[in-house]
Amino acid sequence: MPRSSVLLARVKDAVVANWVKLVLGLVSVSIFIASWAIASLYLSESGSSLSPFVPGPKLVAEAFLSSFVDSVPGLTGIRMGDMIASSMIRIFWGFLLAMLVALPMGLAMGSFKTLESMGKPLVEVFRPIPPLAWVPVFLMVFKSFWGPIGIVFLGVFFPILLNVIFGVKSVDQRLVDAARTLGAKRSAVFTKVVMPAIVPYMMTGIKVGLGVGWMCIVAAEMMPIQSGTGVGYYVWLSADYSRYDFMYATMLVIGLLSILTTGVAELIEKRVSRWMGIR
Amino acid sequence: MSACIEIRGLSKVFASGKRRVVALADMGLEVADGEFVCLLGPSGCGKTTVLRIIAGLEPATGGEVLVHGKKVESAGPERGMVFQEFALFPWRTVRRNIEFGLEIRGVSEKARHELSSGLIELVGLKGFEDAHPDELSGGMRQRVGIARALANEPTVLLMDEPFGSLDAQTRNLMQKELLRIWSATRKTVLFVTHSVDEAVFLADRIVVMTARPGKVREIIPVSLPRPRDRTSAEFIAVRGRVLAELDEEFEKAREKELSPD
Repeated sequence: MPRSSVLLARVKDAVVANWVKLVLGLVSVSIFIASWAIASLYLSESGSSLSPFVPGPKLVAEAFLSSFVDSVPGLTGIRMGDMIASSMIRIFWGFLLAMLVALPMGLAMGSFKTLESMGKPLVEVFRPIPPLAWVPVFLMVFKSFWGPIGIVFLGVFFPILLNVIFGVKSVDQRLVDAARTLGAKRSAVFTKVVMPAIVPYMMTGIKVGLGVGWMCIVAAEMMPIQSGTGVGYYVWLSADYSRYDFMYATMLVIGLLSILTTGVAELIEKRVSRWMGIR
Repeated sequence: MSACIEIRGLSKVFASGKRRVVALADMGLEVADGEFVCLLGPSGCGKTTVLRIIAGLEPATGGEVLVHGKKVESAGPERGMVFQEFALFPWRTVRRNIEFGLEIRGVSEKARHELSSGLIELVGLKGFEDAHPDELSGGMRQRVGIARALANEPTVLLMDEPFGSLDAQTRNLMQKELLRIWSATRKTVLFVTHSVDEAVFLADRIVVMTARPGKVREIIPVSLPRPRDRTSAEFIAVRGRVLAELDEEFEKAREKELSPD
C-alpha cells in the first residue's frame, strides 16, 4: 500500500473510533436522563414526600436557561452570569496568589536540602488539613471576598508546591552535567536547565489544583455567612427557597465550569509542551 | 608536540556509608596536542571516572590533572564533553542545543547563528536546524551532541562511549564521521569505549586500563594509515594484541567479582 493510503486508512480508523466513542457516550447519557425523568414522574404521581427534591430533567433545563436571565423566583437582580463571574474572579485570585508563593517556595525547597528540611515538617502538618476546615475562621477574618479566595489558595497551593519540589529533584543530572561542561555556572544551570525542566511538573500541579480549587470555592461560598455572590452561594440560595430545579441547574453549571477550566489548562499544557518540543 | 592533557598519580575513592570503592589508583597518562587517544578497559575500571575528572564534573581524591599546564578545578568550556546518552536539552531545537554554550558566553545572536550554521553543516544536520531531539535518530542526536561540544571551540574533546547506544551500522558510520570532523578541527580527543574494534579503528594510541582499581596497564600505538580497513591483516593483528591485553583484565575483573571481599 502506498504511504498516502496507509495514512488515509489510519485517519479513517481514528474517525470511526471517535464516532463509536461519541455514540456510546450519548447512549449512557440518554439512559441516565430517561431514568431520571421516570423516577421524577413516579415520585410526583405517587405523591412521595421526596418529589420536590427530584425535579424532572425538563424543569432543570428550563431553570438552567432562565437562571441566566433572572434569579430564583421571588428574588430579582441575581443572575447566573454574575455568580459565575464572581466565582471565577475568586478562583483566579486564589490561583494567582498560590502560584506566586508555591513556585518560588518549591524551587527553593527543591534546590536546597536545608530549606527542604526546614519546610517539610510544616508542609506535612498543614497539607492533610482539608482547606474547608479553614472556612469559618477565614470567612470571619477575611470576609466574604478574600475568605473564599484564601480557601482556594490553600487548595491550589499544595499540589503546585509538591509538584514543583518533585520536578526540581527529578531534573536529569546528565543535563546538568552537560550544561556545566558547556560553561554554565550555578545560576545558568538554574535558569537554563532546571526552570524549563520543571514546566511539565508545574502544569500537572496546576491541573490537580484546578479540580481542588472548584471544590473549595463552592463550599466556601455556601457558608451561612452572607457571601452574597458566587455559584456556591447560588446553590445554597436556591435550596433555601426550595427551588431545587435552580439548585440542580447551578450544580450543572459548576460541573461545566470545571470542565472548561481544566480544558483550558490542558490546552495551555499542550501548547507549552509543543513549543518546548516535549511530547 | 606539547602535552595537552597530563594526568599524574590520579586516584579516586567513592565512599557511601561504610563501603569504599577504589575506582582509580595512581593513574598517569599524557596526551599530546591533536592526538586521538582511546581509553579501553573492562567495565567498572574507572574509564568514565577519568573522563569526568578531566571534565571537572568529579573531584579527584588524589593526584592531579593538567590541561595545557592548568590544573583542573571545575568544569570549563575549554573541555568539551560528549555523553553516551546524548544528554541533549529536549526542549531546545537542534540549533538552540548547539548554541547553548555560546549563549552562556554571551555571544550575540547574529554571531551565534553564524557559528551554529557552520557546525550544523560540519556534522551533516542541514535541514534539521529546527527539529527537537525526540524527532531525531540516535546517530543524528549524537551529531548534535558533538556539534554542541565543538561550539565552545574546546581544545579537548572528551567522549564517553558516545556511540555505545547506537546500532552497529550507525556506529560504523559515526566513527567515520567523527574522524572526518576530527581531521577538519584537529582537536585533542580522549575517547572512552569498551569496543576493541572501535578503538583500533579510531585511535592514534590505545590505553588499556586494568580492572578496578583502574590504572594504565599498557599503551598500544596504532600506526595504521587512515582510513583503516577493518578486514586488513594489520588491523586484525593490532586487534589481536589489544584483545590479549584486555582478556587478562577481564579475567581478573571476573575473579574479583566472584571472590567475597
